[in-house]
Formats: sequence, C-alpha cells, structure tokens
Amino acid sequence: MVSFVTARPAPHAAGTICSAVPVGRKFLNTHTKKQTDMDPSEVEFLAEKEMVKIIPNFSLDKVFLIGGDLGPFNPGLPIDVPVWLALNLKQRQKCRIIPPEWMDVEKLEEMRDLERKEDMFTPVPSPYYMELTKLLLNHASDNIPKADEIRTLVKDIWDTRIAKLRLSADSFISQQEAYAKLDNLTLMEINTIRAFLLDTLNCMYKLRSNVQ
Amino acid sequence: MFIADIRKDFYEVVANQRVVLLVAPDIDALCACKILQALFHCDQIQYTLVPVTGWQDLGTAFLEHKEQFRYFVLINCGANVDLLEMLQPDDDSIFFICDTHRPVDVVNVYNDTQIKLLIKQDDDLGVPSYDDIFRDEDEEGEDSGNESDEGSEPSGKRRRFDEGAVERRIERQRAKREWEARRREILFDYEQYEYHGTSAAMMFFELAWVLTKDTKDMLWWAIIGLTDQWVHDKITNMKYVTDIATMQRHVSRHSHRNEDEENSLSIDCMRISFEYDLRLTLYQHWSLYESICNSCYTSCSFKLWTLNGQKKLQEFLADMGLPLKQVRQKFNSMDMSIKENLRDVIEESSNKYGMKDIRIQTFGVHFGFKNRFLASDMVHATAALLESAEKDDSETDTFIKALDALSRSNIDRLHSGIELAKKKLIAIQQTVASCICTNLILSQGPFLYCYLMEGTPDVKLFSKPMALTLLCKYLLKAFVLSTRNKRCKLLPLVMAAPKDVEKGTVIVVGIPPESETSDKKNFFGRAFEKAAESTSSRTLHDHFDTSTNNAENRFLDGKLFLKFPERERCE
Repeated sequence: MVSFVTARPAPHAAGTICSAVPVGRKFLNTHTKKQTDMDPSEVEFLAEKEMVKIIPNFSLDKVFLIGGDLGPFNPGLPIDVPVWLALNLKQRQKCRIIPPEWMDVEKLEEMRDLERKEDMFTPVPSPYYMELTKLLLNHASDNIPKADEIRTLVKDIWDTRIAKLRLSADSFISQQEAYAKLDNLTLMEINTIRAFLLDTLNCMYKLRSNVQ
Repeated sequence: MFIADIRKDFYEVVANQRVVLLVAPDIDALCACKILQALFHCDQIQYTLVPVTGWQDLGTAFLEHKEQFRYFVLINCGANVDLLEMLQPDDDSIFFICDTHRPVDVVNVYNDTQIKLLIKQDDDLGVPSYDDIFRDEDEEGEDSGNESDEGSEPSGKRRRFDEGAVERRIERQRAKREWEARRREILFDYEQYEYHGTSAAMMFFELAWVLTKDTKDMLWWAIIGLTDQWVHDKITNMKYVTDIATMQRHVSRHSHRNEDEENSLSIDCMRISFEYDLRLTLYQHWSLYESICNSCYTSCSFKLWTLNGQKKLQEFLADMGLPLKQVRQKFNSMDMSIKENLRDVIEESSNKYGMKDIRIQTFGVHFGFKNRFLASDMVHATAALLESAEKDDSETDTFIKALDALSRSNIDRLHSGIELAKKKLIAIQQTVASCICTNLILSQGPFLYCYLMEGTPDVKLFSKPMALTLLCKYLLKAFVLSTRNKRCKLLPLVMAAPKDVEKGTVIVVGIPPESETSDKKNFFGRAFEKAAESTSSRTLHDHFDTSTNNAENRFLDGKLFLKFPERERCE
C-alpha cells in the first residue's frame, strides 16, 4: 500500500499537484474557468529542452542563444544539443542522433521488471522518458537499434506506472487521506491524472461540506 | 547550354535565391518535384510551386512571376521549343530546364546565358553542331563594306576589281544557298521525331546523391519516375533495363546500411527491394483474376474480348492448378500455399501460352506491417489521381492531391488512388473490347483511326492525355493481334475523344506503329501541325507532348488530308 505523506513530484516539474500556471492562449480563453490541466503538447515542449548527443555533418562556429551557448559544430565529432535542435537538424539531414544511454534494450528490461516487482514508483531513466522515446523513435528510428523493442518496453513501463497511479488515487479518495507522497513521478504521468484527481477532491469536499 | 556540374552550376546558384518551380502534369515530373522540394526543405531555399498543364499555362505563370523571381526551374517542359522566343523574358531571367522531351531545341542548346539544361550530355542527343546551323552574319557585312570601298577607286581599276568582286559575290551566294539547304535538311532530320530521354526524377536524385542528401524516400521517388516512363511507354526496353541497373546500385547501397547492424531496423523504416515481379497491374491490391483480365499484356495475349479468349484463360488457370474461388478473391486473402510460388508457377504456365515476358524487373517498397507497394502500383494510383475527372476539382487540386499521395504519410490517399486506377483500367479494357468488337477502328490509308463517340461509357476519363494515350496503346496492341490484314499491322494509330462537349473540342493523340523493336519515336507532332494548316481548323498545340493536341470537331473532317512524307511512313 502506498503511503501518502507529502506531495513532492519529481524534479523539473513545472507544476505541483495543484493547478499549473496557465500558458499562453489557454489563459486568454479560459480565464473564467479554472485551469487545471496542462496540454500534453506543452509537456512535450518542455521535454524538448533535454540534451541529447548528435554527430553533425556540417561545421558551424559557436552559436550564442538566449537559453545558452551551442557549438561549435564539427563534422564527425559528437556534441550535446537540446532535443529540439537535434530533431530539426535530423529532418534536414544534417546530423545523426545517438540514442541516450538509458535507451537500451537490456537496461529497459531491468527497469520494467523492477517496476513490476515494486509497489512504490521506481526511479525513472529520465524525467521525460516517455516524450523523448516518442520524439526520437518517430524521427530518428533509423539511428536507434532495435527501435521496435524499445518502444514496447517503454510502453510496458508506462502502463505499469499508470496502473499504480490509478490504484493509489483510488485508495486516496476512498480512504479520504489528507496528503500523498509521490516520489519519482514524471510530469507527463502527473498530467494524466491531475484534472481528474483535483475535480474529484473538489466534489468530495462539496459533498462533505453540504452534509454538515 | 548543358550544365556540367549540377551541384556548382545549379544548386549553389539557387541556394540563396527564391525560385519558381514550373512542373508539367506527369508522374515523372511529380516525382522530380518531390525530390527537389525535399532538398529545398533541407537547405531552407524558398520556392513557389506552379503546376502547368500546357504552353499557355506556362506563359501565364511566367508573366505572373517574372517581376519577383529571377530563377525559374522547369520540370518536364520547355526543352523542345525555343523558350526565349515564346516567353520573351528579360535579360536577367535564368531558366533551368530538366526535361525528358527530345529533341532539345537547338536554340536552347546553344544559348549560353539564360538557358541552362539539366540534361546529361551522353544521353544520345544527336544535336547538330553549331557551325551547321548558325552562321556569323559578320562575313556578309565585311564583304559588302569592301565592295563599297572598292567602288570609290578610280574607274579603270574598278572595272577589274568589279569582275573579281562580282564573281566572288556569286560564289558566296551559291555557298550560302547550299549551306541553308543543308541546314534545313539537318534541322528537319533532327526535329522530326519526338522521343524521351532519362527520367527527370533520376536527374534530381543524382543531384541529391552528389550532395549526399539522398534518402530512401528520394530513391523511391526516382524509381517511380523511371517506372512511369516504362508504364506509359516512353522509353525503350533497353533503356529501361539500363536505368533499372543504375537504380539497383543505389538500392543496394541503401539496403547495405540496414543489414550491417545485427540489430535490425524498425519495421516502420522504408525498405526498398529489387523484384522480378509479374506484369499484372495492381495484382497485389486486387484479385488475381481481375488483374489478369485488366492488364494489357495478358488481356491482349489471351484476346479476352472473344469467347475463345475466355476459355483460354480458364484453361490457363486450370493449368496452374489455381482454384477459381481462390483466384477471384482479394490477393491478400489467398492461401499462403498458393501465394508462395505464384510467380514461378505463373511464369512457367505463361511460357506455354506464348507470353514470354510475363515477368519484369522492378522495385517494391515495404514499410510498416501492412504497406507493400510495387513501383508500377504507385504510378497507376498517382496517374489516376492526377487525371481524376471530379467536377469540382481544378487541375491544381488534382495535382496537389497526386503530389500528396507520393508521401508516406498519406497512405489513405494512395489507396483511394489505387481504387481510381482500378476503375480506369476496367474502363480501358471495356472500351478496347467494344472498339474491337464493333470495328470502330478504321483504316484511313496511311494510318488507323478511331473516334470515341460522346455517349461511350467512361468517355470523361479519356478526355485526359495520359489516359487517352494508354487507351490508344492498348487498342493498337489488341487490334494488331486481332486483325488478319497484314498491312494494317504496320500502321500507326490516331485516336480522338471528346474533350469539352459544350465547346465542341476534341483531344487527338497519335502513336507510332506497334513493333517489337520500336524505338519509341513519335512523328505525330509535325504531322498534326501540317494537318492543322491544311484544314484551317483551330487547333491548340497546347500539350507538352507534341503527339497530343486539342482541336475543334472540324479537325476530324480533315483527317483525310493527313499526309505523311514517305520517310516517316517507313518507321
């Protein structure tokens, strides 16, 4: 049984279990309605800031961007760049993407087995493992060996964790617990349950307060 | 001017410019356009894509864009006319022409500044040499200058000089007349036949290869472009086989990368493979029986429009041991045991029935679990989409739809194209059968002639040039096999179909006679021009293929006046 102590989501999460900061047009359109959800595409956008290794086939001097410096690029030499740049270069056939270390069949199999054994959430390979898998396997599957198996394994890990999350949320609500501790949850997983959980808790509160 | 280094003289020139792409409506041009678009996307070159259906469209598009753009890339149009005279461009417009139409107009070849031809020079062009056609006019000016100088000499000397000068002048004029006669003959020989050269898609794939930006998608498009030339009978068998060998080298280079890793590639990656597959059109997306009935090769060999032919077909199927029930259902649902050796079994049996070439070298693609296509399937599907006779689709819409069908992400569109192609093939076979059975093909002296009346079913399909040309070829093949008249077997065929009922126009197509060793050279371009002159009916030589043109109904009355010079008739 999961024990709920405090709410402490995984690092890099832009939101807590309470409502996230409304972003962009959503804020303008729905300022009368309570914003309790992040769009999955927004989560993917945040995931694209992660770094990944590429091997470029062009050369370019150091580039100074607001978010940080990139480069210099030399053909044939590996370099770390954010995922958004890696995907753009890959689509323009200017680089080869090297899969991250955790995207390996044996390691993922171990993680999946560990996840199935444990009751608690096990540490994740990367705080954005689901988004990175989807992005890299959709655009660069020819650079990643055994891409189909990796996709299946990551989906297995995701399914197990979401099942655990559902179970915990169910017991949280039915047993009317006051607080919950959620280690090692990624933003995407939190996002799937956020709207439902908050609405339910609000309804429960209204029901309880009306009874009195 | 022919371009020597396509990377330096073409790609790097347009690299930082905005270009206009003017694309003709055939599948080879669509594939070439796709390859070029992919290259432009990689390097973020801005371009405007304008589909053009004929010379008028080309002129209009040029006028619209000539203010803003300097560089024009013409795909499968423009090489066989004097482009500068037709378009009257400013001096700084530059045209890059990648066209399979031959012969290339001599002005285009010898213009050094504005016209750049993206054509390989070893492509069997036979261009007359410069001195045979163009002559410096300065010689004349100098001589007449000398004469006027001599005229100011004192009269005594002048008489002597005069005789010499007069003789020289007569000599020069005679030489000039001889030279002009020879020039006319050379040009006539050069321009009388129309034929096709290497596929434009293959040219652009080579560009991509030189830039090392070639992907499997581009390779597949190049293969489709080449197959389009074979399906629509534009190149000889020899050339097709040679080009297939070239493509095979690229295919093995790309597949080599797959097999290198012991970890296999994702199933979603594109795999291209060389196939020695059957010549049955669309058989993997249809039932085997339908495919045999509607493919030109088998239908003509069996003569399926006769009762005898139907019986022979049943014998053929029985000979192979294929139960009728299996053969009539969708190919994918046939028993695995039958599908395994199908190709060899069919080849063996078809040899007995006189079909020696039932198998053809081609390529197939395979991505995902469900999607397998042969190159010819793609060509038929895209052609059907390009020429679909929907009422509310303009020609640009059909062009864009056909272009979309070539991408891997638009499989639905491709499947709808395959369905349209099936309908088109069925319509062609039925029309061929009815034409042969009702003797609609008339022998008009030097050629055969057939006119599709307005009420014929599916006649709307045949108001488009590619579909009509396909019908024409099938019809000629079928006719040659079914007629007993030896002389008729060697005649070319002219076919007309109504194009626009309200305006009363027809579309006319002419194809050379059917022969085993045909070199696919078509002389109808010139013949139609002459016929139009002699009947004074309005014709619109609008299509890029000179063997197709639109005409008034009155043109057909003039068919009696179609005379061909003796030389052409012997082909």
